[in-house]
Amino acid sequence: MSDRREPDGIVLTEAQKRSRRQRSIAIALALGVLVVLFFAVTIVKGPAVLNRPM
Amino acid sequence: MGDYLALLKPRVMSLVIFTALVGLVIAPGHFHPVLAFTSLLCIAVGAGASGALNMALEGDIDALMSRTANRPIPRGRVTRDEAMAFGITLAFFSVMTLGILVNWYAGALLAFTIFFYVVIYTMWLKRWTAQNIVIGGAAGSLPPVVAWVAATGSLSVEPLLLFLIIFFWTPPHFWALALFRSDDYARAGIPMLPVVAGPDATRLQILLYTIVLVAVAVAPWPLGYFDAIYGVTSLVLGGGMMACAVHVYRRRERAESLRATRRMFAFSILYLFALFATLLLEVAGRAIAAAIG
Repeated sequence: MSDRREPDGIVLTEAQKRSRRQRSIAIALALGVLVVLFFAVTIVKGPAVLNRPM
Repeated sequence: MGDYLALLKPRVMSLVIFTALVGLVIAPGHFHPVLAFTSLLCIAVGAGASGALNMALEGDIDALMSRTANRPIPRGRVTRDEAMAFGITLAFFSVMTLGILVNWYAGALLAFTIFFYVVIYTMWLKRWTAQNIVIGGAAGSLPPVVAWVAATGSLSVEPLLLFLIIFFWTPPHFWALALFRSDDYARAGIPMLPVVAGPDATRLQILLYTIVLVAVAVAPWPLGYFDAIYGVTSLVLGGGMMACAVHVYRRRERAESLRATRRMFAFSILYLFALFATLLLEVAGRAIAAAIG
């Protein structure tokens, strides 16, 4: 009897794993850009960042 | 990854970025470079979102046209739902970021631009009327207006002039394309003007719209909104556009007609680019003169 268990559920192909990895990197980069952008604008606006007219 | 980039329609996006940049640069007052960059980024991402949603909704007709058959959805590399989710996410973040970081007028106008392109043009007009690109052209004309509103928080005549130039440029540009791609559009069942009204009626419409375009593009000079360099450049480039339109109107034999419409299509891109680049140069010239003086 083997100790190795067959994986349950959907098993991703190598191509699918590669695209999932690329997607994760793209989302991480986009979030990083957003964080930098919000930080930079907060610094640029200073206290005026709290002033929110229409 | 490349497929998702293709969904953003990078070539359309580059024109949007360029026209928006002109809207930002000609706006009065000081606009911090970080806020200017944020505005351009949001407008670019909003344009990309519109492109992705457009492709998600047009996968069926893209597959039937040789010009678009290689796009990610007809090739089966991205599903319709994936493109839709991608487009909605980008649209949401571009509008919210522009609204929160710059101003809500600009955010609302960007949201309206995306809505107009996706719902009014893609879902409604494109498959319904030969005036699809005339009315739908408003979406492509709005980026410099969004940029101006981002920079100033208000509207003025100058961005509306830029809007009108792109608005009247769109029909001759796209109808020139539609003339040499009319088989494609007919196969896909899209009621482009050459398919519905025939090539001769389209040639006349191209000529008429070009006359209006040239007049609208020159008008800001005598009206005093833009300087003489712009006015003279606009006249020279307008002469080129008129020559192309007259060629398209007169050359009706198949091979000659094909050459004339392709030339018109290519020149129209150069026309818009050069016209807007002149505005950039004018502003740069004024800044240098002010620095020296």
